[in-house]
Amino acid sequence: MSIIEKFIQAAPLPNSWIDNWKRDGKKVLGYFCTYIPDEIIYAADILPIRIRARQCSDTPVGDAYMSSTTCSFTRCCLEAADRKQLNFLDGIISCNSCDQIRRLYDNIRYKAPFPFHYFLSVPANVNEVTIEWYKHEVGKFKKQIEKEFKVKITDDKLGHAIQIYNESRRLLKKLYLLRQRETPHFTGTDVMNILLASVSIPKEYFNNLLSQQIEEAENNEGISDYRARIMVVGSLLDNPQYIKIIEDLGGLVVTDSLCFGTRSFWDLVEESHSPLDALAQRYLSKISCPRMTDGHLSRKQFILDLIKEFYVDGVIFQRMKFCPYWWGEIFMLRRELKELGVPFIDLEREYILGGIGQMKTRIQAFLEVLE
Amino acid sequence: MIKIEEDWYKNYKKIAREKWGSEFTLWKAMFRGFIDMMREEAIKQGKENEPINPFSKMLLDVFIDVARARKKGKQIIMYPFNYGPELFHAMNLEPLMQEMFSVGLAPFHINEHYLDITNEIGYGDNPTLCNAQRPLIGSYIEKAAPIPDLLFFLSTPCNSLATTYQVFQHLTGVPTYTIDIPYWSHSPDSTFYDEKTLEYVIKQLKKLVVWLENQTHQKLDEEKFKQTMVWLNQARANVLEFNELLRAVPCPARSIEGFGNYLAMVLRGGTKAAVEATKWLRDNAASNVKNKIGGVPDEKIRIAWPYTHVFFDNELLPWLEENFNAVVIMDILGYYHVPPHDTSTIEKCFESLAKGTLDFSMIGTCRGPIEFYIDYVIRFVKDYKIDCVIMPMQFACKHAYAMARITSEEVRNQTGIPTMIFGCDPYDSREVSSEEIRGKIADFLTEIVL
Repeated sequence: MSIIEKFIQAAPLPNSWIDNWKRDGKKVLGYFCTYIPDEIIYAADILPIRIRARQCSDTPVGDAYMSSTTCSFTRCCLEAADRKQLNFLDGIISCNSCDQIRRLYDNIRYKAPFPFHYFLSVPANVNEVTIEWYKHEVGKFKKQIEKEFKVKITDDKLGHAIQIYNESRRLLKKLYLLRQRETPHFTGTDVMNILLASVSIPKEYFNNLLSQQIEEAENNEGISDYRARIMVVGSLLDNPQYIKIIEDLGGLVVTDSLCFGTRSFWDLVEESHSPLDALAQRYLSKISCPRMTDGHLSRKQFILDLIKEFYVDGVIFQRMKFCPYWWGEIFMLRRELKELGVPFIDLEREYILGGIGQMKTRIQAFLEVLE
Repeated sequence: MIKIEEDWYKNYKKIAREKWGSEFTLWKAMFRGFIDMMREEAIKQGKENEPINPFSKMLLDVFIDVARARKKGKQIIMYPFNYGPELFHAMNLEPLMQEMFSVGLAPFHINEHYLDITNEIGYGDNPTLCNAQRPLIGSYIEKAAPIPDLLFFLSTPCNSLATTYQVFQHLTGVPTYTIDIPYWSHSPDSTFYDEKTLEYVIKQLKKLVVWLENQTHQKLDEEKFKQTMVWLNQARANVLEFNELLRAVPCPARSIEGFGNYLAMVLRGGTKAAVEATKWLRDNAASNVKNKIGGVPDEKIRIAWPYTHVFFDNELLPWLEENFNAVVIMDILGYYHVPPHDTSTIEKCFESLAKGTLDFSMIGTCRGPIEFYIDYVIRFVKDYKIDCVIMPMQFACKHAYAMARITSEEVRNQTGIPTMIFGCDPYDSREVSSEEIRGKIADFLTEIVL
């Protein structure tokens, strides 16, 4: 089995790594958002898994309880919880990422509860007052994990978890930098599978696999038969099939601003600081999602930097239907990119991949414009 | 005393004929509309010769004050519907509550035009972004609304608000400040606002003061701030008493009066005018309780309405009152709980300001997990002898709509009271019509409640 095949096997939930972890009598906790410092969970020798609901095909419970005008990711997650498809989890951690995620947490607790639930209050802007608040929240979270799972998370253990996580982030960045080349070593589809594996299996194991993958790739010829270099920007996207549709038409996804992508790993945690300080600082100040009310300009600059560094020909905005944050963000970005002459298209989508024909037509037309 | 028919009406009409500037086109349209509505209501009630009441005066003066502020060079600060303007009053700014546009234009069916313009420029759609804010973008494009000097908003109660305010900032470049409202984390050792939460909000409010000082080139006048907070807390006491009086059977107020209290607090909180308006509402209710007079004659149904009113249909509540002898005793904006606080020192004033911020309409009920909302509704149902709950959910209001079903189940389980949930857009009459809404409510009341 090739390394990439291992990543593909690791991407779904659950997977054999999770089964093995549980077979050893260890716990697994699911979380919803990149603003949750999963190092805390890992330091408690619990496996943190970023929750998805890719198996979802319809959402009758989600529609009834959350309304059919909430985003389909949250409705699918409620559906998966209600159908016991997430029962491998020993608990869930959520935060006020957005209105829909916070109400998903409520609906899960009432409709399909887990043995353990926890919620972090994450500030929506960054300054010394909010960072201090978040440090307090992260500290409370740590204490609750210790109390619930009867473990002691020492500074040493947390420091070690931070090192492992930073290693993972460094490797992912290295992987991305290989895509800067004229002949990138990875398709966007492969990278999406790697990213999904990074939040689905133990980090040490993931780091080991990714190191091998990078080493192997550095000796290979890259990909040259593409029509245009694409950056994908937008809300939650955890479906490699979506990227594959773009790439089957000749586009090559070379970078992104996605919460399963760059926004999850680009910034490191400062290892020389006290762990709680460093975690609060990093998680609140990282490349933000539009939930941060004061972050648009830095998000825009991040995207412009990546466009330049990865020689991007065009941007595909992918926007989850009913997501207010991303509609506002993309509205602003569209105006800004237009002014700078950066080509883009704006595609709305549902979590359950549909309307593929229409999507292909629009991407095909976009690629023709780029050529 | 100014007489409505003879003096009041003429005086305000005269002001409406003055030049307000093109940026106040919509503002003046609302002003004219409200003058006429108030006159019609006075005539309907046979009170055309009575003096203007303090609430109406306060409301109409808001329009005049904002328009005149621009002429006088007084800085205008725009802020959202879930924050009181007291600090702005204390700092000699003219507060302009943004949603006054969408709420105020809705009954005259003017929002629709600005929503269409917002759609045309590609900013959002109704199920995604709330139309309480989207008309702002259309009115900006048409230059029909004033661009404020400053903009302020909070992270709560919803993403839609935070998003559209950011887009407005992006379009206009208006200097903007935001504060973070913490989310109650529902852990066993946490209370709704513990010391940490209060301290957090106080610190942010103090930073807001510094920002305002820098923007306005003036220092916070502590005496003025204290006076503002004294008035604010006097008004809070009035609102609290009014809410207690609503427990009486029959309910001593008409369906819309609680919302009147909200308007007083959100438009003029921290002023003498708000104290007088809330006192007037309280005194009327107290007199009615004393004389056993119901706001709705022959009261038959007592309704809890734990969401916003359907603003485009200002005849909906009177229709309920006339056809079903039903009184809507509470709505989510009008009924909220902020007790008066100690204002003896500047620190206490900031504490009071922070508590009011955390408890304000829709913040107190929606800034935490669903338990707060459920508790809010169930307590009201039990304490106010409610017969049914009606939730007219705004399609785009993700956080509220996603609470409705569980809340209705809890209300039924804990009180046996039925709940009706339906989707609509309170700001746009084209989504779900008045006729459809009334038909649904009529079916619910006749088949389930009566």
